[in-house]
Amino acid sequence: MTQISRSKGISGSARLDLLVSLLLIAAAIALPFMVDSRYVLGQIVLALFYATIASQWNLLFGFAGVFSLAQMAMFAFGGYVTAMICFYFGWNVWAALLPGALATVVFSLVVGLACLRLTGVYVALLTLAIAQTMYLLIVTDTECFTMVGSICRQFTGGAVGFARFGDLGTRALLKGQWLVGNYAIIATLFTVTMIVTYVIVKSPIGLAFKALKDNPGYAVARGVNRFQAQLLVFGISAFFTGLAGGFYAAHFQAIGPGILSMSQLMFIIAITVVGGVGTFWGPLVGTIVLVGADELMREMGEFRTLGLGLIIALSILLMPKGLVGRVGDLVRWLRHRNAAGPKTKLQENRAAAGE
Amino acid sequence: MLDILTAILIAGLTTGALYALATVGLSLVWGSMGMLNMAHAAMLTLGGYSAYTFSTALGLPAFVGFLGAIVVGAIAGGLLYILIVRNLLKNDKATFESNVMIATVGIGIALENTILLTYGGQPLKQPISATGSLVLGPLSLPYQNMLIVFVVIVLMAVIALLLGRTRMGRAIRATAQNREAAQLMGVAVNRVYFQVLVLSGAIAGVCGVMVSSMTQLSPPLGNDPMLKAFIMCVVAGLGNLPGAVAAAFGLALFEAFVQYVAGARWGFPTLLFVVIAVLIWRPAGLFGRVQIRRM
Repeated sequence: MTQISRSKGISGSARLDLLVSLLLIAAAIALPFMVDSRYVLGQIVLALFYATIASQWNLLFGFAGVFSLAQMAMFAFGGYVTAMICFYFGWNVWAALLPGALATVVFSLVVGLACLRLTGVYVALLTLAIAQTMYLLIVTDTECFTMVGSICRQFTGGAVGFARFGDLGTRALLKGQWLVGNYAIIATLFTVTMIVTYVIVKSPIGLAFKALKDNPGYAVARGVNRFQAQLLVFGISAFFTGLAGGFYAAHFQAIGPGILSMSQLMFIIAITVVGGVGTFWGPLVGTIVLVGADELMREMGEFRTLGLGLIIALSILLMPKGLVGRVGDLVRWLRHRNAAGPKTKLQENRAAAGE
Repeated sequence: MLDILTAILIAGLTTGALYALATVGLSLVWGSMGMLNMAHAAMLTLGGYSAYTFSTALGLPAFVGFLGAIVVGAIAGGLLYILIVRNLLKNDKATFESNVMIATVGIGIALENTILLTYGGQPLKQPISATGSLVLGPLSLPYQNMLIVFVVIVLMAVIALLLGRTRMGRAIRATAQNREAAQLMGVAVNRVYFQVLVLSGAIAGVCGVMVSSMTQLSPPLGNDPMLKAFIMCVVAGLGNLPGAVAAAFGLALFEAFVQYVAGARWGFPTLLFVVIAVLIWRPAGLFGRVQIRRM
């Protein structure tokens, strides 16, 4: 039923997607001219990071049905590798970004080889355990690896992490306007990520991912290799997540174990759930709504986490398909109502003719 | 040599008992309803703090505090069913598994944060605990550890009797084996779900008191035992209660040993490594049966 209506609307939805993306790109270009406040622009850059991570989690969970809780671990891995390459070898940040992303892919494939033989909740629990282990090992790392001045540095940076290993070069180039430069870079990263994600989702392999999510048994019976396909999507999503991690480390010129904390992971999940799991625009909508809500709740200070938890629970209760799904329902309902009049007449005629 | 061995044994058995209790609460819910309760950790913490409130703040005897923790845990479980699970069950069955996980993650964060806002972040002392130890020649057995193992064994026996001998237990087991068939035989599946969540809430309450009596009360109290209970459930095969208890004790002893040999830091990573190795060998868990899914 839904399959038929979806395949019918593909050309229409593709046109709509194109229109939305052109509008968004126009808005993204106009944004730095409209926003004066450095704080607001900084928050927007942060929101773009969230949207990138959430879009990749959505690719993994929403489209391919892999419930991985190691998303922030992948992000942190990319960030850490980039930071460590710059810190220990003195590379330029730009040169270290790609190795960081590729290392994340390797890491994700190792994790995937261990976890993806399992399905469903088992994957969630194991990936969560792996992410927590990574956090614990970094935080409890106290062995001196090198000495910087008189300060002992751990190999993984320990509880402090890494700082001052280089930046994206925008400060030297644009002076006071460096934040705008970083904004442009991160916005480009997000755009590229979204385009690649779109292509993947609409390609045959994307359909295989979707089939595995909707009915694993049937998909496997039709010749889709579940393990290979899920490992592939795990690797793809890890590449962009790791790349985003590298850019994150470069933008903030710092990376620490804090981004591995449970609340960060929850924020990503909340973004995807509120926006709409398995919808292409869901993560972006979710980011706008949740970062906005987060800013509003900043006034309430300590109630932020509480509010976030309630938002996650309530939105999955009231709108399991997220905001984008709800809007889709609304559009369908309106169409149905408009079409309802003539259709019933037609059916009556048919019934009359049948008699 | 002997005292090192007994120290490892005591630590392993005590944490094993705690993990077993946490694992049983999780596994019960998963086995009968196919629901992974991510808010279980927060319910554990809630139990620990309510015992504190009843016995320290209200000045009631320790026994009442202990009972209070059980009651509060049970109420939390019941509320979780009424407010969240019941409504999610009305939706599509296929998405229930992941939806309920996300929803309970949200509830867990909200609950943990409420506790943080109510009691503050500074660690508190759990009043329900025993001091001193029994000295048997070269051995010294802390009363606290003995109490924990004793309470856990009693609780396990009660749960086993409840599941094995009562009408309610039969209904729970029937639902776990085959939900549709149980429903057709006249089992009120929704009531079973409610009972299971209340029961697991009560178990979480006790577990919270026990865990906090070993360490201290703090809002993220439940997270560490829960994470370990998760992987113990996984290694035993989700939903398998005797397997979960065996895995809990086995892995806890192993963890205590590794912590002694390689340092506390490596306990959990080694545990995880073993679990992954086991799962590659037996993807459905050590005691789990391979499920055949109908389409």
